[in-house]
Amino acid sequence: MVKMYGVTRVYAGGAQALRGVDLSIDKGEFVFVVGPSGAGKSTLLAIIYRGAVPSRGQVWVAGRNIARLRWREVPLLRRRIGIVFQDFKLLPDRSVYDNVAFALEVIETSPRDIAKRVPLALDMVGLAHKAQAMPDELAGGEQQRVAIARAIVNDPFIVIADEPTGNLDPDTSMDIVNLLCDINMRGATVIMATHNQLVVDRLRRRVVQLDEGLVVRDELRGGYCGEA
Amino acid sequence: MKLRTMAMLGGQALRSLRKTPALTSVMVVMACMAAVSVFAVFAVNLTAIGRQLQSQVQIRVFIDQSVVPDGKESLGRSIRALSGVTRVSYVSKDEALGRLRLQMGESGFFLSDLERNPLPDSFDVSVARAEDARVVADGIWKLKGVSDVIYGQKWVDNLVGALRVLWGITGIVACLALVGASLIVSNTIRLSVFARRKEIEIMKLVGATDGFILFPFVIEGLIIGIAGSCAATGLVAAGYLGLVTWMESVASFIPIIRDPIHMRLAVLGTVAFGAVTGLAGSAISVRRYLRV
Repeated sequence: MVKMYGVTRVYAGGAQALRGVDLSIDKGEFVFVVGPSGAGKSTLLAIIYRGAVPSRGQVWVAGRNIARLRWREVPLLRRRIGIVFQDFKLLPDRSVYDNVAFALEVIETSPRDIAKRVPLALDMVGLAHKAQAMPDELAGGEQQRVAIARAIVNDPFIVIADEPTGNLDPDTSMDIVNLLCDINMRGATVIMATHNQLVVDRLRRRVVQLDEGLVVRDELRGGYCGEA
Repeated sequence: MKLRTMAMLGGQALRSLRKTPALTSVMVVMACMAAVSVFAVFAVNLTAIGRQLQSQVQIRVFIDQSVVPDGKESLGRSIRALSGVTRVSYVSKDEALGRLRLQMGESGFFLSDLERNPLPDSFDVSVARAEDARVVADGIWKLKGVSDVIYGQKWVDNLVGALRVLWGITGIVACLALVGASLIVSNTIRLSVFARRKEIEIMKLVGATDGFILFPFVIEGLIIGIAGSCAATGLVAAGYLGLVTWMESVASFIPIIRDPIHMRLAVLGTVAFGAVTGLAGSAISVRRYLRV
């Protein structure tokens, strides 16, 4: 599903965010990416959805080397990837329904399809009853659920979550991660960057640990710190 | 892009225009387009007047007193054979005196006291183009039996030069207007991009194409450009029609352009220029601030 060979990412100032990363993630896996701030977690995720381009190396997603993807093909890649961020990235002047529908409108989905798929996505995240609410009327966990509904409404084969629990309390964080597990159970590959030791230790999924741009640990059913 | 999507994005552009200081941009575009239109109207009309005046340019050839009648006929034929000459008419010294009397009217009383007619016989020579007058005059000078050649050399040269300068200024004003108005439109679009930056970021992340993201901003620039140029056209047209009416009453001999085909072309040209300005403004902003 995702394969990286010797991926290096050097920023304009010369700082190396990733240094020769080799990584292989299979279809249907749930992978935690952990490591201290500045370790390169967000860059690693960004490279998968072409938010960043590797300076060296190859990145294969669903059988295509996306490091060589033409710029006009990038939107087509992103339509197959759902992305969730720590700060939710919701449009404050649109309702919950419209925020989710927005992801379909911009890829020119027919109104009939939008009317069919948005309620399903909201139902999946347990927010069908709040479809007409505005984002500022929702709690943090609910806002993140809306962001997840927007990420999955187009049936992506990969869901990328960059610190999705960073702004949430422990209980709500666990709910969000459980929701991502449900999405994973339905077949989507989930790659989640996190600092949340509790959820990593409790779920015991594959853990890829980065430090200063290097993969220092890749452990199946691992814990946050490795020795656990 | 589907028609439904284009309509949706067009609606977005209109909503966005209400949130940005678009009216200021429309006013600036209007001022720039009005300046260009005024200069263009001046230049077009002066060119038309110039053409009419140029068509009336005549060369007067004075015949040496010593030339016999056969020699005069021969000289006339030689002048007619010159390239660029359209008409040659002989004016006898008596005819010339008669014309002078007519021109001077009452102030020509002294002409009756003349003992003999001092005016020479001459030819009035018409040329196809005013610019040819100098060459034809030089050619006539070389002919035998010519005592003097006069034509409105200075004012013809001045007129041609003045028209060139006027068209040059019009071109410069048009370029300045294009650049100035485009930058103002660009600034408005930049504000619009800034106001919608979060929406644009999400659009990119969920897979919107560049065309989808750019379309509303292009439409926005186009609307500002067309609105500004339409307003300018309205203002200039109203002023011009007033001027035409006034000129007809006070100086109807001046050939001001008033035919509907020219007027429609001028309106279309100004609106098209405004649209180009709007598109140029959008392109500047989209390239510099959107980076999609």
